[in-house]
Amino acid sequence: MRVVNFAHGEFLMLGMYAAFWAFTLLHADPYLTLVVAVPLFLAVGWGSYALIMRPIVHTSHNVQVFTTVGLSIVLQNLALVLWTGDARFVRTSYYASVINLGGAVLNLAQVVAFVLAVALTAALFAFMRFSYTGKLMRATAQDRSAAMLMGIDTGRIYALTWAVGITCVGAAGVLLAPIYPVYPTVGLQFVLIAYIAVVLGGLGDMAGALIAALIIAAVEVIGSYTIGTSWKEVLYLLLFIAILVVRPSGLFGQRGSETLGV
Amino acid sequence: MRTYALAIAFFAAAGLAPLVVDDAFLLDTLVLILVWGCAAGAWNIAGGYAGQISLGHSAFFGLGAYAAALCGVRWNISPWYGVAIGAAVATAAGTVIGFLANRLRGPYFVIATIAVSQVLLLGAARWRGFTAGSEGIPVPFRAGFWALGIADKRIWVWIVLVLALVVYLSQLYLERSRRGFQLAAVREDEDAALSLGVRARRLKVAAIAASAAFTAVCGALWAQYVGFVDPLYVFSVDLSVRFSLAAIIGGLGTALGPFLGAVLVTTVETWLRAEFGGLGSHLVGLYLILYGIALIVMVRYAPQGLMGLIYKR
Amino acid sequence: MRGVTKRFGGITANRGITFDVAAGELVGIIGPNGAGKSTLFECISGFYAPDEGEVELEGARLTGLSPDLVCRRGIARTFQKLRPFQGMTVAENVMVGALTRTRDVRHARDQAHEWLRRVGLSEKANAYARTLSTGQRKRLELARALATGPRLLLLDEVTGGVDQRSIPALVELVRELHAGGLTLLVIEHNMRVVTAVAQRIIALHLGEVIADGAPAAVARSPRVVEAYLGQAYVA
Repeated sequence: MRVVNFAHGEFLMLGMYAAFWAFTLLHADPYLTLVVAVPLFLAVGWGSYALIMRPIVHTSHNVQVFTTVGLSIVLQNLALVLWTGDARFVRTSYYASVINLGGAVLNLAQVVAFVLAVALTAALFAFMRFSYTGKLMRATAQDRSAAMLMGIDTGRIYALTWAVGITCVGAAGVLLAPIYPVYPTVGLQFVLIAYIAVVLGGLGDMAGALIAALIIAAVEVIGSYTIGTSWKEVLYLLLFIAILVVRPSGLFGQRGSETLGV
Repeated sequence: MRTYALAIAFFAAAGLAPLVVDDAFLLDTLVLILVWGCAAGAWNIAGGYAGQISLGHSAFFGLGAYAAALCGVRWNISPWYGVAIGAAVATAAGTVIGFLANRLRGPYFVIATIAVSQVLLLGAARWRGFTAGSEGIPVPFRAGFWALGIADKRIWVWIVLVLALVVYLSQLYLERSRRGFQLAAVREDEDAALSLGVRARRLKVAAIAASAAFTAVCGALWAQYVGFVDPLYVFSVDLSVRFSLAAIIGGLGTALGPFLGAVLVTTVETWLRAEFGGLGSHLVGLYLILYGIALIVMVRYAPQGLMGLIYKR
Repeated sequence: MRGVTKRFGGITANRGITFDVAAGELVGIIGPNGAGKSTLFECISGFYAPDEGEVELEGARLTGLSPDLVCRRGIARTFQKLRPFQGMTVAENVMVGALTRTRDVRHARDQAHEWLRRVGLSEKANAYARTLSTGQRKRLELARALATGPRLLLLDEVTGGVDQRSIPALVELVRELHAGGLTLLVIEHNMRVVTAVAQRIIALHLGEVIADGAPAAVARSPRVVEAYLGQAYVA
């Protein structure tokens, strides 16, 4: 779609709050909420596209940047006003449970989140690769005018692309809720990693993003082990900047794609 | 002359206000308006005039703030040195970011700027030995002009007003000078500008570096005024967004726009904070929701901001 | 140009292109779509660096220099897809070009007005560039490039999209510039225009030079005919 969504982290935050409220008010386990969250966020995605993104999809980068920044501000502060800035916790019964995998002690919630996330990513990848709609989306991404000439309703494809993106990040939020505290500005730290993963992996390459995310996680963990936990974020941020300097198109991206200005 | 009437009125009013106004709260608001106006104006040099939108300008602001604070706390020298040191370091940082600007376009550059400011945030918050970590640095108050320890808010207004005039005039310079025209060409269409012999890359770096330096000076003065430097605030993305918000609402790429935007943003904020601050600070978020919506609407339908509405280009 | 070769992935846009242009010549460059004409201009003007070969201007190496440096060395160009500075006035557009040669803004403004007069856009001087018609934009693009004071001007499809009535005036302008000593390389699809102004024509096809000589000879060359019209037409 060639649009960077600066409100991406805020939809993650909304996912986390969704899990929290479902848990607190309905005693619903987050993984159950996940099932409801998918159609919910599809709707949210569709709605936000129609309301906010559609008018600006063909405008300049600056307009797009500030529209999504504005959206980010609105969502963050909506959460702040409605639910206050206090950190919330989804303390499921298995919060502290661990499982033993060949000597490594892993937090259960994290493992489940990992497995489900990989599954979702694989499903998304398969969808993009093999389904008809997925092909439509990729075609539109490659050449908008050609796609239109082929009779593809690019407006709807964009709406779908956007909605799918929102759904993914909302689902991610639900998965993360049992593990991390929930507060209005929680989106930033995660979205930054997401951007780094996408750039490192190469813009427009999903498999690349996944691999890049794993690399970042590895760097983070190794870093916190060797240098100390307080510096690990600095490590991958510096890695990010270094990549931008040395190979901005990422590990798997096309050379020069970053200078096309998306 | 007519086009400058508003600017003259603004600066004259700001300059004369301390002579007629006594109320500390109002003077405080005026100082903040001018500081944020300067910061927005500095951002505007890179974002509006050079077309390099950045959401990491808090990096420069923070550098300036820390420079001033550390001068007072660690090295026991006048914070005016902090202003200079902050500006120098920020210029270097700005040059690095300018280098990035030449390798990335659009939103990816924005993300890079955010990353840089967050690196500094984390660095400042974690480097206990140097910056007293995430507790921040209280800026010591030593009376006297040389130590920038000034209790009288009226003098602060005039100090910041001088900076405001410099920032304003610098922007005007960019509207009339050779470099300014070339920069505008780069902003409009970099390749076309290149084909006409414009040194696009160099100009972009220079604009960002200048923008960084001004922002750092703002940060240094602000630190002395407010008396406390908190890394989580001073390097925050929120702060960066705030600079751009004021510039865009006021009029991107205009000399007076950032100041008008700052007037609007600051007055609403301080008023709301005064009204609702006690009830529950989370309600203060209300005005930010309005700004978010204003940003979304304005950037699409009134891209020239307040200046555009006033001057119907 | 010597052996200039430019590849994009699997496509060789320019293959071993070699020719010399003498000062004061007006050379037309023709060829069907995809022949590599614009790519050639990109290589000369510095927007692309050729994969092989050299570009030289009066002995000085130009290959791989950045576009702004190429311009300052004396080569200016227009773009096929017009690129006026939309947010600036017509005069300001030309000033940007003029400012490459002079530091003084006032002087640049005067020069800009002078060039606008020569291309016939004086009355539009204070209009915003985005309000111009295609023909006017072509002339603006020309004036802007000329303001940089080039020795060699690369014109890319200067009559493209211009209505028939305005073409003679444009052609006349090109002739005047040439008469004034300017060296010109002109990409054109309009054969009448090319044969009218060019002293020499270079024909490109699929990235290679297939003809180089006087207009009449080139027009009759069997390879050129074949390239444009196909095998069947070769007499």
